[in-house]
Amino acid sequence: MNRAHFMAQLRDGLAGLHHTDINDIVADYETHFADGAADGRTQEEVAAALGDPVRLARELRAEIGFRRWEENRSAGNFMGVVLALLGLATIDFVILLPLLCALAAIFFGLSVACLAFVVGGSFLLFNLLPFGWHGVMGNPAMQLLVGLGLISGAIGGGALLLMLMDIIAKLLIRYARLHFRLFDTANKSI
Amino acid sequence: MVESLQIQLKKGVLEMCVLALLSRGDNYAYDIASRMAEAVGMGEGTIYPLMRRMQNDGLVSTYLQESGSGPPRKYYKLTKSGAQALKSQISDWQTFETAVQKILGDAT
Repeated sequence: MNRAHFMAQLRDGLAGLHHTDINDIVADYETHFADGAADGRTQEEVAAALGDPVRLARELRAEIGFRRWEENRSAGNFMGVVLALLGLATIDFVILLPLLCALAAIFFGLSVACLAFVVGGSFLLFNLLPFGWHGVMGNPAMQLLVGLGLISGAIGGGALLLMLMDIIAKLLIRYARLHFRLFDTANKSI
Repeated sequence: MVESLQIQLKKGVLEMCVLALLSRGDNYAYDIASRMAEAVGMGEGTIYPLMRRMQNDGLVSTYLQESGSGPPRKYYKLTKSGAQALKSQISDWQTFETAVQKILGDAT
C-alpha cells in the first residue's frame, strides 16, 4: 500500500466526522509519511508500519465520540459512544445490541416520565395564579405543595438519570478501549 | 478474541511508556511512534488514537513549533496531571513487578 492508498482508506473511514477533526487526523498521518520519507523509508514501509487504516479510523472515530460525550452530554452524543463501541466490538454485537436497546428504552421512558412530572407540576402551579381557574385540587396550599413536589421530583430524577447515563457511558468507553488493537499489523512476531 | 500475555502486558504499559518518554522532553508523534515501535513493537499508526485519548484525558497537551523545513510541527507536552499519572503508574508497576518477581523467583 502506498501513501495515497493509505490516506484514501483513512479518509473513507473518517467520513462523516467534523471536517476540522478529519483535517487534523489527515495532517497527522501526512506528516508521518513525510517524516518517514525524511528518515529514508519508502511509502510502502511507512504504510505497513502504521497498520490498517480502516481499523485506525474506527479507533480515532471512537476517541472523538468519547470526547464529544465528555464535552456535551446529549442523547445524540450518547448514541455516538454506543455506535463507536459497536464499530469496534463487532464480535460482541449480538450480545450487546439487545442490551443497549433495552437500556435506551428504559432511559427514554424515564425521561418522558420526568417531562410529564414537570408539565403536571407546572399546570398545578399555573392554576394558582390569579387568572387561573383555582378549583383543580380544592385546597390551594396543597396544590402548591403537590405542584412544587412534582417539579422538584422531576429535577432530582433528571439529575439522577444524567448521572446514571454518565456512569454507563464511562463503562462503555472503558470497554470499547479494550478493543483497540494496538499491535495490529506492524509486527507479526508478537 | 484471545490475545497473548505479551500483547496484554504491552497494552497496559503503553500509556506509561509514552508518559515516560514525554517526561524527558516534549516530542512529536513520529519520534514517539518510532521509539515505541522499536522498544515494544507497537504499530506506529496507533500513536495517533493513543495521543488523542491522552489529550482527552488531560495527560498531554499540544503546541505547534516552527520547524527548519516544511510546516510547523505538532509537539506533545506532559501536563501536570500527566506527570502525576506517570508517577502513580510507575509506583503501581514497581509494586506489581516486585510481587510477580517474588512468585517467579522459585520457578526460574
